[in-house]
Amino acid sequence: MTPVAITPRLTLVQVYAIAKNTFKEAVRSRIFYILLAFAVCLLLFSFVMGLLAIGSLRRVILDMGLSTIAYFSAATAIFIGIGLIYKEVERKTIYNVLSKPLSRSSFILGRYLGIMTVLLVNLVAMTLVLAGVLASVGAFTARIFPAVGYIYLELMILSAVALFFSSVSSPVVSAICTVAFYLIGHTSSSIPSFLVPLVQSDFAKRALLLLYHLLPDLNLLDINNLVVHDIATAPGFAVRGVTYTLLMVAALLLASSLCFKRRDLV
Amino acid sequence: MDHVLQVTELKKSFRGHLSIGVHHVLDGINLSVPKGVIYGFLGPNGAGKTTTIKILAGLLFPDAGEARIFGRSSTDRSVRRRIGFLPETPYFYDYLKGAELLAFMGRLYGLSPSQLSRRVPELLETVGLKGQGKLQLRKYSKGMLQRIGLAQALIHDPELVILDEPMSGLDPIGRREIRDLILSLKEQGKTVFFSSHILADAEMLCDQVAILVKGRVVQEGVLEVLLGSEVRFWDVTLGGLETFSPPPGCSVLTHRGGQVLVRVESEAILQALLDKARAEGASVRSVMPHKASLEDLFMAQIPGGGT
Repeated sequence: MTPVAITPRLTLVQVYAIAKNTFKEAVRSRIFYILLAFAVCLLLFSFVMGLLAIGSLRRVILDMGLSTIAYFSAATAIFIGIGLIYKEVERKTIYNVLSKPLSRSSFILGRYLGIMTVLLVNLVAMTLVLAGVLASVGAFTARIFPAVGYIYLELMILSAVALFFSSVSSPVVSAICTVAFYLIGHTSSSIPSFLVPLVQSDFAKRALLLLYHLLPDLNLLDINNLVVHDIATAPGFAVRGVTYTLLMVAALLLASSLCFKRRDLV
Repeated sequence: MDHVLQVTELKKSFRGHLSIGVHHVLDGINLSVPKGVIYGFLGPNGAGKTTTIKILAGLLFPDAGEARIFGRSSTDRSVRRRIGFLPETPYFYDYLKGAELLAFMGRLYGLSPSQLSRRVPELLETVGLKGQGKLQLRKYSKGMLQRIGLAQALIHDPELVILDEPMSGLDPIGRREIRDLILSLKEQGKTVFFSSHILADAEMLCDQVAILVKGRVVQEGVLEVLLGSEVRFWDVTLGGLETFSPPPGCSVLTHRGGQVLVRVESEAILQALLDKARAEGASVRSVMPHKASLEDLFMAQIPGGGT
Protein backbone atom coordinates (compact mmCIF):
# COMPACT_ATOMS: atom_id res chain seq x y z
CA MET A 1 0.00 0.00 0.00
CA THR A 2 1.61 3.29 -1.09
CA PRO A 3 1.50 6.01 1.59
CA VAL A 4 -0.98 8.75 0.69
CA ALA A 5 0.68 12.10 0.02
CA ILE A 6 -0.05 14.96 2.41
CA THR A 7 -2.36 17.13 0.38
CA PRO A 8 -5.18 19.55 1.22
CA ARG A 9 -7.56 16.74 0.27
CA LEU A 10 -6.04 14.42 2.91
CA THR A 11 -6.35 17.22 5.47
CA LEU A 12 -10.05 17.59 4.59
CA VAL A 13 -10.58 13.83 4.92
CA GLN A 14 -8.85 13.87 8.31
CA VAL A 15 -10.80 16.88 9.61
CA TYR A 16 -14.03 15.21 8.48
CA ALA A 17 -13.04 11.93 10.21
CA ILE A 18 -12.27 13.74 13.49
CA ALA A 19 -15.52 15.75 13.27
CA LYS A 20 -17.56 12.60 12.57
CA ASN A 21 -15.94 10.82 15.51
CA THR A 22 -16.65 13.79 17.81
CA PHE A 23 -20.28 13.70 16.69
CA LYS A 24 -20.50 9.94 17.38
CA GLU A 25 -18.96 10.48 20.81
CA ALA A 26 -21.65 13.00 21.74
CA VAL A 27 -24.65 11.17 20.33
CA ARG A 28 -23.59 7.90 21.93
CA SER A 29 -23.43 9.48 25.40
CA ARG A 30 -26.49 9.46 27.64
CA ILE A 31 -26.00 13.00 28.92
CA PHE A 32 -26.69 14.41 25.44
CA TYR A 33 -30.16 12.83 25.41
CA ILE A 34 -30.86 13.80 29.02
CA LEU A 35 -30.12 17.47 28.25
CA LEU A 36 -32.16 17.33 25.05
CA ALA A 37 -35.11 15.62 26.75
CA PHE A 38 -35.05 18.17 29.55
CA ALA A 39 -35.06 21.02 27.04
CA VAL A 40 -37.96 19.49 25.10
CA CYS A 41 -39.93 19.11 28.36
CA LEU A 42 -39.36 22.80 29.13
CA LEU A 43 -40.48 23.78 25.62
CA LEU A 44 -43.68 21.82 26.10
CA PHE A 45 -44.06 23.44 29.50
CA SER A 46 -43.95 26.85 27.80
CA PHE A 47 -47.23 25.87 26.18
CA VAL A 48 -48.81 25.32 29.62
CA MET A 49 -47.41 28.62 30.85
CA GLY A 50 -48.81 30.32 27.76
CA LEU A 51 -52.28 28.98 28.52
CA LEU A 52 -52.06 30.40 32.06
CA ALA A 53 -51.05 33.86 30.82
CA ILE A 54 -54.37 34.89 29.37
CA GLY A 55 -54.11 37.03 26.27
CA SER A 56 -50.35 36.72 25.77
CA LEU A 57 -50.08 33.08 24.79
CA ARG A 58 -47.86 33.69 21.74
CA ARG A 59 -45.49 36.03 23.60
CA VAL A 60 -45.03 33.69 26.56
CA ILE A 61 -44.41 30.63 24.38
CA LEU A 62 -41.96 32.55 22.19
CA ASP A 63 -40.14 34.11 25.13
CA MET A 64 -39.88 30.94 27.16
CA GLY A 65 -39.21 28.77 24.13
CA LEU A 66 -36.37 30.85 22.70
CA SER A 67 -34.81 31.31 26.15
CA THR A 68 -34.95 27.56 26.78
CA ILE A 69 -33.28 26.88 23.45
CA ALA A 70 -30.59 29.50 24.09
CA TYR A 71 -29.76 28.35 27.64
CA PHE A 72 -29.83 24.61 26.96
CA SER A 73 -27.75 24.93 23.81
CA ALA A 74 -25.23 27.05 25.70
CA ALA A 75 -25.14 24.47 28.53
CA THR A 76 -24.58 21.67 26.01
CA ALA A 77 -21.86 23.66 24.22
CA ILE A 78 -20.05 24.36 27.49
CA PHE A 79 -20.53 20.82 28.79
CA ILE A 80 -19.14 19.15 25.68
CA GLY A 81 -16.66 21.87 24.76
CA ILE A 82 -14.72 21.93 28.03
CA GLY A 83 -13.73 18.28 27.61
CA LEU A 84 -13.01 18.31 23.88
CA ILE A 85 -9.22 18.37 24.16
CA TYR A 86 -8.60 17.80 27.85
CA LYS A 87 -10.45 14.48 27.97
CA GLU A 88 -8.57 13.18 24.93
CA VAL A 89 -5.28 13.89 26.70
CA GLU A 90 -6.52 12.63 30.08
CA ARG A 91 -7.88 9.38 28.62
CA LYS A 92 -4.80 9.02 26.41
CA THR A 93 -6.99 8.42 23.34
CA ILE A 94 -5.09 11.26 21.71
CA TYR A 95 -1.90 9.17 21.44
CA ASN A 96 -3.41 7.04 18.74
CA VAL A 97 -4.84 9.94 16.81
CA LEU A 98 -1.89 12.33 16.86
CA SER A 99 0.61 9.60 15.96
CA LYS A 100 -1.07 9.57 12.55
CA PRO A 101 -0.07 12.02 9.76
CA LEU A 102 -2.52 14.57 11.17
CA SER A 103 -1.60 18.11 12.15
CA ARG A 104 -2.65 19.33 15.56
CA SER A 105 -4.51 22.24 13.93
CA SER A 106 -6.57 19.76 11.89
CA PHE A 107 -7.36 17.90 15.09
CA ILE A 108 -8.56 21.12 16.78
CA LEU A 109 -10.63 22.07 13.73
CA GLY A 110 -12.14 18.57 13.47
CA ARG A 111 -13.13 18.56 17.13
CA TYR A 112 -14.67 22.02 16.71
CA LEU A 113 -16.66 21.09 13.62
CA GLY A 114 -17.81 17.93 15.40
CA ILE A 115 -19.26 19.83 18.35
CA MET A 116 -20.85 22.37 15.99
CA THR A 117 -22.61 19.51 14.19
CA VAL A 118 -23.85 18.12 17.50
CA LEU A 119 -25.16 21.54 18.49
CA LEU A 120 -26.82 21.98 15.11
CA VAL A 121 -28.72 18.69 15.47
CA ASN A 122 -29.64 19.67 19.02
CA LEU A 123 -30.86 23.09 17.88
CA VAL A 124 -32.87 21.72 14.96
CA ALA A 125 -34.63 19.23 17.26
CA MET A 126 -35.53 21.95 19.80
CA THR A 127 -36.62 24.39 17.08
CA LEU A 128 -38.96 21.82 15.57
CA VAL A 129 -40.55 21.26 18.97
CA LEU A 130 -40.98 25.03 19.48
CA ALA A 131 -42.41 25.42 15.97
CA GLY A 132 -44.83 22.56 16.72
CA VAL A 133 -45.95 24.15 19.99
CA LEU A 134 -46.48 27.53 18.28
CA ALA A 135 -48.34 25.95 15.35
CA SER A 136 -50.61 24.00 17.72
CA VAL A 137 -51.96 27.30 19.11
CA GLY A 138 -52.01 29.01 15.74
CA ALA A 139 -49.17 31.39 16.69
CA PHE A 140 -46.41 30.14 14.44
CA THR A 141 -43.98 32.77 13.19
CA ALA A 142 -41.09 32.14 10.80
CA ARG A 143 -39.06 34.69 12.78
CA ILE A 144 -38.07 31.94 15.20
CA PHE A 145 -35.68 30.68 12.50
CA PRO A 146 -33.45 33.77 12.34
CA ALA A 147 -33.60 33.93 16.15
CA VAL A 148 -32.33 30.35 16.33
CA GLY A 149 -29.72 31.21 13.68
CA TYR A 150 -28.35 33.93 15.95
CA ILE A 151 -28.35 31.48 18.86
CA TYR A 152 -26.21 29.21 16.67
CA LEU A 153 -23.76 32.07 16.01
CA GLU A 154 -23.46 32.55 19.75
CA LEU A 155 -22.85 28.80 20.18
CA MET A 156 -20.08 29.01 17.59
CA ILE A 157 -18.27 31.54 19.77
CA LEU A 158 -19.04 29.77 23.03
CA SER A 159 -17.78 26.40 21.73
CA ALA A 160 -14.59 28.00 20.43
CA VAL A 161 -14.05 29.57 23.87
CA ALA A 162 -14.65 26.23 25.63
CA LEU A 163 -12.33 24.48 23.15
CA PHE A 164 -9.61 27.07 23.74
CA PHE A 165 -9.76 26.63 27.51
CA SER A 166 -9.93 22.85 27.10
CA SER A 167 -6.65 22.92 25.18
CA VAL A 168 -4.85 24.68 28.03
CA SER A 169 -6.57 23.72 31.28
CA SER A 170 -8.74 21.25 33.18
CA PRO A 171 -12.53 20.93 32.64
CA VAL A 172 -13.35 22.69 35.94
CA VAL A 173 -11.19 25.72 35.13
CA SER A 174 -12.47 25.66 31.53
CA ALA A 175 -16.09 25.57 32.73
CA ILE A 176 -15.55 28.50 35.11
CA CYS A 177 -13.80 30.57 32.43
CA THR A 178 -16.35 29.76 29.72
CA VAL A 179 -19.31 30.55 31.98
CA ALA A 180 -17.57 33.80 32.98
CA PHE A 181 -17.13 34.61 29.28
CA TYR A 182 -20.84 33.92 28.69
CA LEU A 183 -21.95 36.13 31.58
CA ILE A 184 -19.60 38.97 30.63
CA GLY A 185 -20.70 38.61 27.01
CA HIS A 186 -24.34 39.12 28.00
CA THR A 187 -23.74 42.05 30.36
CA SER A 188 -20.96 44.03 28.63
CA SER A 189 -23.46 45.90 26.43
CA SER A 190 -24.67 47.69 29.57
CA ILE A 191 -21.32 49.54 29.70
CA PRO A 192 -22.06 51.93 26.81
CA SER A 193 -25.81 51.99 27.36
CA PHE A 194 -25.91 52.30 31.15
CA LEU A 195 -22.50 53.04 32.73
CA VAL A 196 -21.06 55.57 30.27
CA PRO A 197 -23.96 58.06 30.60
CA LEU A 198 -23.55 57.92 34.37
CA VAL A 199 -19.92 59.12 34.50
CA GLN A 200 -18.91 62.78 34.03
CA SER A 201 -15.22 62.60 33.13
CA ASP A 202 -14.25 62.20 29.49
CA PHE A 203 -11.31 60.05 30.49
CA ALA A 204 -13.55 57.66 32.43
CA LYS A 205 -16.00 57.54 29.53
CA ARG A 206 -13.17 56.62 27.10
CA ALA A 207 -11.76 54.09 29.52
CA LEU A 208 -15.16 52.44 29.89
CA LEU A 209 -15.68 52.38 26.12
CA LEU A 210 -12.22 50.86 25.66
CA LEU A 211 -13.10 48.23 28.24
CA TYR A 212 -16.34 47.51 26.39
CA HIS A 213 -14.46 47.01 23.10
CA LEU A 214 -12.05 44.62 24.79
CA LEU A 215 -14.84 42.53 26.27
CA PRO A 216 -17.03 40.13 24.26
CA ASP A 217 -20.55 41.35 23.47
CA LEU A 218 -22.86 38.41 22.88
CA ASN A 219 -25.91 40.69 22.86
CA LEU A 220 -24.85 41.63 19.33
CA LEU A 221 -26.22 38.19 18.46
CA ASP A 222 -29.39 38.24 20.55
CA ILE A 223 -32.63 39.02 18.76
CA ASN A 224 -34.92 36.98 21.00
CA ASN A 225 -36.54 40.06 22.54
CA LEU A 226 -37.05 41.64 19.13
CA VAL A 227 -38.80 38.50 17.88
CA VAL A 228 -40.96 38.21 21.01
CA HIS A 229 -42.09 41.82 20.68
CA ASP A 230 -42.30 41.67 16.90
CA ILE A 231 -39.70 44.39 16.30
CA ALA A 232 -37.59 44.41 13.15
CA THR A 233 -33.79 44.22 13.41
CA ALA A 234 -31.71 47.24 12.40
CA PRO A 235 -30.20 47.25 8.90
CA GLY A 236 -26.74 45.63 8.83
CA PHE A 237 -27.43 43.69 12.06
CA ALA A 238 -26.94 40.31 10.37
CA VAL A 239 -23.71 41.29 8.57
CA ARG A 240 -22.25 42.70 11.78
CA GLY A 241 -23.26 39.59 13.76
CA VAL A 242 -21.86 37.12 11.26
CA THR A 243 -18.59 39.08 10.84
CA TYR A 244 -18.19 39.41 14.62
CA THR A 245 -18.75 35.65 15.04
CA LEU A 246 -16.37 34.58 12.28
CA LEU A 247 -13.58 36.85 13.55
CA MET A 248 -14.00 35.65 17.14
CA VAL A 249 -14.07 31.97 16.10
CA ALA A 250 -11.04 32.34 13.83
CA ALA A 251 -9.05 34.09 16.58
CA LEU A 252 -10.01 31.50 19.20
CA LEU A 253 -9.26 28.48 16.98
CA LEU A 254 -5.93 30.02 16.00
CA ALA A 255 -5.08 30.60 19.67
CA SER A 256 -6.09 27.00 20.53
CA SER A 257 -3.90 25.65 17.73
CA LEU A 258 -0.91 27.74 18.79
CA CYS A 259 -1.24 26.66 22.42
CA PHE A 260 -1.59 23.02 21.42
CA LYS A 261 0.98 22.92 18.63
CA ARG A 262 4.12 22.39 20.73
CA ARG A 263 2.48 20.86 23.76
CA ASP A 264 4.09 17.68 25.08
CA LEU A 265 1.54 14.89 25.40
CA VAL A 266 2.96 13.23 28.51
CA MET B 1 23.69 -0.15 5.99
CA ASP B 2 20.26 1.35 5.27
CA HIS B 3 18.86 2.71 8.55
CA VAL B 4 15.18 3.50 8.88
CA LEU B 5 15.54 5.08 12.29
CA GLN B 6 18.42 7.04 13.76
CA VAL B 7 18.45 8.75 17.10
CA THR B 8 21.29 11.11 17.93
CA GLU B 9 22.09 12.59 21.34
CA LEU B 10 18.41 12.74 22.23
CA LYS B 11 17.64 14.55 25.48
CA LYS B 12 14.37 15.09 27.26
CA SER B 13 13.54 16.34 30.71
CA PHE B 14 10.33 17.16 32.51
CA ARG B 15 9.62 19.78 35.13
CA GLY B 16 8.21 18.67 38.48
CA HIS B 17 5.01 19.92 40.07
CA LEU B 18 4.74 23.71 40.16
CA SER B 19 7.79 23.72 37.83
CA ILE B 20 10.05 22.89 40.78
CA GLY B 21 12.98 20.63 39.91
CA VAL B 22 13.86 19.04 36.60
CA HIS B 23 13.71 15.31 35.96
CA HIS B 24 16.11 14.25 33.21
CA VAL B 25 14.52 11.27 31.48
CA LEU B 26 16.72 10.95 28.39
CA ASP B 27 20.35 11.89 28.74
CA GLY B 28 21.68 11.90 25.18
CA ILE B 29 20.68 8.56 23.70
CA ASN B 30 21.87 7.20 20.35
CA LEU B 31 20.17 4.42 18.38
CA SER B 32 20.46 3.04 14.84
CA VAL B 33 17.81 0.70 13.53
CA PRO B 34 18.59 -0.98 10.19
CA LYS B 35 15.89 -1.79 7.68
CA GLY B 36 14.10 -5.12 7.99
CA VAL B 37 15.13 -6.09 11.53
CA ILE B 38 13.26 -6.73 14.73
CA TYR B 39 14.77 -4.30 17.19
CA GLY B 40 14.18 -4.66 20.93
CA PHE B 41 14.29 -1.55 23.05
CA LEU B 42 14.81 -2.87 26.55
CA GLY B 43 15.17 -1.36 29.97
CA PRO B 44 13.74 -1.36 33.48
CA ASN B 45 10.68 0.70 34.37
CA GLY B 46 11.45 4.40 34.30
CA ALA B 47 14.46 4.01 32.01
CA GLY B 48 12.94 6.30 29.37
CA LYS B 49 11.63 3.78 26.82
CA THR B 50 8.13 5.25 26.52
CA THR B 51 9.49 8.81 26.42
CA THR B 52 11.75 7.85 23.50
CA ILE B 53 8.89 6.14 21.69
CA LYS B 54 6.59 9.13 22.23
CA ILE B 55 9.24 11.36 20.65
CA LEU B 56 9.41 8.98 17.67
CA ALA B 57 5.60 9.13 17.38
CA GLY B 58 5.57 12.93 17.45
CA LEU B 59 3.78 13.15 20.80
CA LEU B 60 6.69 14.71 22.68
CA PHE B 61 9.29 17.20 21.53
CA PRO B 62 12.97 16.60 22.40
CA ASP B 63 14.96 19.21 24.34
CA ALA B 64 18.10 18.46 22.32
CA GLY B 65 19.33 15.99 19.74
CA GLU B 66 17.17 14.53 17.05
CA ALA B 67 15.27 11.45 15.96
CA ARG B 68 15.25 10.82 12.22
CA ILE B 69 12.89 8.35 10.60
CA PHE B 70 13.38 7.52 6.92
CA GLY B 71 15.83 10.42 6.87
CA ARG B 72 13.32 13.00 8.14
CA SER B 73 12.76 14.52 11.57
CA SER B 74 10.23 12.67 13.74
CA THR B 75 8.39 15.99 14.12
CA ASP B 76 7.68 15.99 10.36
CA ARG B 77 4.18 14.57 10.05
CA SER B 78 4.83 13.18 6.58
CA VAL B 79 7.04 10.44 8.10
CA ARG B 80 4.09 9.21 10.11
CA ARG B 81 2.45 7.98 6.91
CA ARG B 82 5.05 5.21 6.90
CA ILE B 83 4.88 4.33 10.60
CA GLY B 84 2.46 2.16 12.51
CA PHE B 85 2.34 2.93 16.23
CA LEU B 86 0.92 1.07 19.20
CA PRO B 87 1.10 3.05 22.46
CA GLU B 88 1.69 1.40 25.82
CA THR B 89 -1.63 0.13 27.23
CA PRO B 90 -3.66 1.50 24.32
CA TYR B 91 -6.70 3.59 25.18
CA PHE B 92 -9.39 3.86 22.56
CA TYR B 93 -12.75 5.54 22.13
CA ASP B 94 -14.80 2.93 23.97
CA TYR B 95 -18.04 4.03 22.30
CA LEU B 96 -16.71 2.84 18.94
CA LYS B 97 -16.98 -0.71 17.64
CA GLY B 98 -13.77 -2.54 16.72
CA ALA B 99 -14.34 -2.21 12.97
CA GLU B 100 -15.34 1.45 13.36
CA LEU B 101 -12.08 2.20 15.16
CA LEU B 102 -10.03 0.62 12.38
CA ALA B 103 -11.99 2.50 9.72
CA PHE B 104 -11.55 5.78 11.63
CA MET B 105 -7.79 5.26 11.98
CA GLY B 106 -7.58 4.23 8.33
CA ARG B 107 -9.29 7.45 7.26
CA LEU B 108 -6.64 9.44 9.14
CA TYR B 109 -4.08 7.76 6.86
CA GLY B 110 -6.21 8.69 3.86
CA LEU B 111 -7.39 5.17 3.02
CA SER B 112 -10.50 5.16 0.84
CA PRO B 113 -13.75 3.48 1.96
CA SER B 114 -13.20 0.73 -0.63
CA GLN B 115 -9.67 0.05 0.66
CA LEU B 116 -11.03 -0.05 4.20
CA SER B 117 -13.82 -2.48 3.32
CA ARG B 118 -11.11 -4.98 2.32
CA ARG B 119 -8.47 -4.10 4.90
CA VAL B 120 -10.60 -4.01 8.08
CA PRO B 121 -11.91 -7.64 7.97
CA GLU B 122 -8.51 -8.85 6.83
CA LEU B 123 -6.78 -7.24 9.81
CA LEU B 124 -9.42 -8.35 12.30
CA GLU B 125 -8.71 -11.90 11.19
CA THR B 126 -4.92 -11.39 11.32
CA VAL B 127 -5.02 -10.28 14.97
CA GLY B 128 -7.50 -12.99 15.98
CA LEU B 129 -10.58 -10.76 16.30
CA LYS B 130 -12.63 -12.21 13.46
CA GLY B 131 -16.32 -11.78 14.28
CA GLN B 132 -15.59 -9.22 17.03
CA GLY B 133 -15.59 -6.14 14.80
CA LYS B 134 -19.20 -5.23 15.64
CA LEU B 135 -18.59 -5.30 19.38
CA GLN B 136 -18.13 -1.97 21.19
CA LEU B 137 -14.60 -1.48 22.52
CA ARG B 138 -15.91 -0.99 26.06
CA LYS B 139 -16.81 -4.69 25.97
CA TYR B 140 -13.31 -5.79 24.85
CA SER B 141 -10.95 -7.53 27.29
CA LYS B 142 -7.43 -6.17 27.86
CA GLY B 143 -5.99 -8.74 25.46
CA MET B 144 -8.56 -7.86 22.79
CA LEU B 145 -7.73 -4.16 23.15
CA GLN B 146 -4.05 -4.95 22.66
CA ARG B 147 -4.93 -6.85 19.47
CA ILE B 148 -7.15 -4.12 18.07
CA GLY B 149 -4.34 -1.70 18.94
CA LEU B 150 -1.98 -3.74 16.82
CA ALA B 151 -4.52 -3.90 14.03
CA GLN B 152 -4.88 -0.09 13.94
CA ALA B 153 -1.07 0.20 13.85
CA LEU B 154 -1.03 -1.98 10.74
CA ILE B 155 -4.09 -0.57 8.97
CA HIS B 156 -2.06 1.31 6.34
CA ASP B 157 0.54 -1.44 5.85
CA PRO B 158 3.43 0.61 7.32
CA GLU B 159 7.13 0.06 6.62
CA LEU B 160 8.14 0.70 10.23
CA VAL B 161 6.09 -0.58 13.15
CA ILE B 162 6.75 0.95 16.57
CA LEU B 163 5.23 -0.98 19.45
CA ASP B 164 5.39 0.11 23.07
CA GLU B 165 5.15 -2.97 25.30
CA PRO B 166 3.08 -5.01 22.81
CA MET B 167 3.02 -8.10 25.04
CA SER B 168 1.83 -6.27 28.13
CA GLY B 169 -1.40 -7.62 29.60
CA LEU B 170 -1.52 -10.69 27.37
CA ASP B 171 -1.80 -14.30 28.51
CA PRO B 172 0.78 -16.85 27.24
CA ILE B 173 -1.36 -17.72 24.18
CA GLY B 174 -1.84 -14.06 23.33
CA ARG B 175 1.88 -13.39 23.73
CA ARG B 176 2.71 -16.21 21.39
CA GLU B 177 0.25 -14.91 18.78
CA ILE B 178 1.75 -11.43 18.96
CA ARG B 179 5.25 -12.92 18.68
CA ASP B 180 4.17 -14.83 15.55
CA LEU B 181 2.65 -11.65 14.14
CA ILE B 182 5.86 -9.68 14.74
CA LEU B 183 7.85 -12.43 13.00
CA SER B 184 5.44 -12.38 10.06
CA LEU B 185 5.91 -8.59 9.79
CA LYS B 186 9.64 -9.16 9.50
CA GLU B 187 9.03 -11.78 6.80
CA GLN B 188 7.06 -9.14 4.89
CA GLY B 189 10.19 -6.95 4.96
CA LYS B 190 8.97 -4.53 7.61
CA THR B 191 11.09 -3.12 10.41
CA VAL B 192 9.74 -3.66 13.91
CA PHE B 193 10.92 -1.50 16.81
CA PHE B 194 9.42 -2.57 20.10
CA SER B 195 9.98 -1.89 23.77
CA SER B 196 9.59 -4.62 26.33
CA HIS B 197 10.61 -5.70 29.76
CA ILE B 198 9.69 -9.33 29.01
CA LEU B 199 13.20 -10.49 28.18
CA ALA B 200 12.26 -14.03 27.12
CA ASP B 201 10.06 -12.62 24.34
CA ALA B 202 12.73 -10.16 23.28
CA GLU B 203 15.38 -12.88 23.15
CA MET B 204 13.17 -15.04 20.96
CA LEU B 205 12.31 -12.22 18.54
CA CYS B 206 15.07 -9.66 18.27
CA ASP B 207 17.86 -9.37 15.77
CA GLN B 208 19.18 -6.32 17.53
CA VAL B 209 18.65 -4.78 20.93
CA ALA B 210 19.43 -1.64 22.86
CA ILE B 211 19.40 -1.59 26.64
CA LEU B 212 18.39 1.69 28.20
CA VAL B 213 19.22 2.45 31.83
CA LYS B 214 18.44 5.77 33.49
CA GLY B 215 18.09 7.57 30.18
CA ARG B 216 21.30 6.25 28.62
CA VAL B 217 21.86 3.43 26.14
CA VAL B 218 24.31 1.10 27.88
CA GLN B 219 24.37 -1.65 25.24
CA GLU B 220 23.35 -1.69 21.61
CA GLY B 221 24.01 -4.14 18.82
CA VAL B 222 23.28 -7.49 17.21
CA LEU B 223 21.92 -9.82 19.87
CA GLU B 224 24.11 -12.80 18.93
CA VAL B 225 27.24 -10.66 19.11
CA LEU B 226 26.25 -9.15 22.44
CA LEU B 227 25.50 -12.54 23.99
CA GLY B 228 28.57 -14.29 22.51
CA SER B 229 28.86 -18.01 21.80
CA GLU B 230 30.89 -19.02 24.85
CA VAL B 231 29.37 -21.59 27.24
CA ARG B 232 29.24 -20.14 30.76
CA PHE B 233 28.54 -23.40 32.64
CA TRP B 234 27.13 -26.91 32.21
CA ASP B 235 24.42 -28.64 34.23
CA VAL B 236 25.06 -32.42 34.34
CA THR B 237 22.45 -34.94 35.47
CA LEU B 238 23.82 -38.28 36.69
CA GLY B 239 21.70 -41.31 37.62
CA GLY B 240 22.17 -44.52 39.66
CA LEU B 241 24.18 -42.94 42.47
CA GLU B 242 23.26 -43.41 46.13
CA THR B 243 26.35 -41.52 47.29
CA PHE B 244 28.58 -39.31 45.20
CA SER B 245 31.44 -36.97 46.00
CA PRO B 246 32.14 -34.78 42.96
CA PRO B 247 35.65 -33.73 41.96
CA PRO B 248 36.85 -30.26 43.09
CA GLY B 249 35.36 -27.34 41.14
CA CYS B 250 31.84 -28.89 40.87
CA SER B 251 28.81 -27.88 42.89
CA VAL B 252 25.97 -30.31 43.62
CA LEU B 253 22.65 -28.54 43.11
CA THR B 254 20.33 -31.46 44.04
CA HIS B 255 20.73 -35.12 45.08
CA ARG B 256 17.44 -36.99 45.18
CA GLY B 257 16.49 -40.67 44.65
CA GLY B 258 19.87 -41.66 43.20
CA GLN B 259 19.85 -38.70 40.76
CA VAL B 260 22.41 -35.91 41.11
CA LEU B 261 22.37 -32.50 39.39
CA VAL B 262 25.86 -30.99 39.26
CA ARG B 263 26.96 -27.56 37.93
CA VAL B 264 30.40 -27.29 36.32
CA GLU B 265 32.04 -24.08 35.16
CA SER B 266 34.98 -25.35 33.04
CA GLU B 267 35.35 -27.90 30.27
CA ALA B 268 38.33 -29.61 32.03
CA ILE B 269 36.33 -30.15 35.21
CA LEU B 270 33.40 -31.41 33.10
CA GLN B 271 35.63 -34.15 31.68
CA ALA B 272 36.91 -35.04 35.15
CA LEU B 273 33.32 -35.25 36.42
CA LEU B 274 32.17 -37.47 33.57
CA ASP B 275 35.21 -39.78 34.00
CA LYS B 276 34.59 -40.13 37.73
CA ALA B 277 30.88 -40.75 37.21
CA ARG B 278 31.52 -43.52 34.68
CA ALA B 279 34.17 -45.05 36.96
CA GLU B 280 31.60 -45.23 39.79
CA GLY B 281 29.05 -46.89 37.46
CA ALA B 282 26.74 -43.87 37.14
CA SER B 283 24.69 -43.19 34.03
CA VAL B 284 25.04 -39.75 32.39
CA ARG B 285 21.45 -38.64 31.74
CA SER B 286 22.07 -35.16 30.39
CA VAL B 287 24.77 -32.54 29.87
CA MET B 288 23.24 -29.11 29.35
CA PRO B 289 25.51 -26.24 28.24
CA HIS B 290 24.36 -22.73 29.23
CA LYS B 291 25.32 -19.68 27.21
CA ALA B 292 24.77 -16.10 28.38
CA SER B 293 21.11 -15.14 28.10
CA LEU B 294 19.59 -11.75 27.40
CA GLU B 295 18.56 -11.73 31.04
CA ASP B 296 22.21 -12.15 32.11
CA LEU B 297 23.24 -9.34 29.77
CA PHE B 298 20.37 -7.16 30.98
CA MET B 299 21.01 -7.78 34.67
CA ALA B 300 24.70 -7.05 34.23
CA GLN B 301 23.78 -3.56 32.99
CA ILE B 302 21.41 -2.69 35.81
CA PRO B 303 23.02 -1.22 38.94
CA GLY B 304 22.56 -3.93 41.59
CA GLY B 305 21.09 -6.28 38.98
CA GLY B 306 24.02 -8.65 38.97
CA THR B 307 23.76 -9.42 42.68
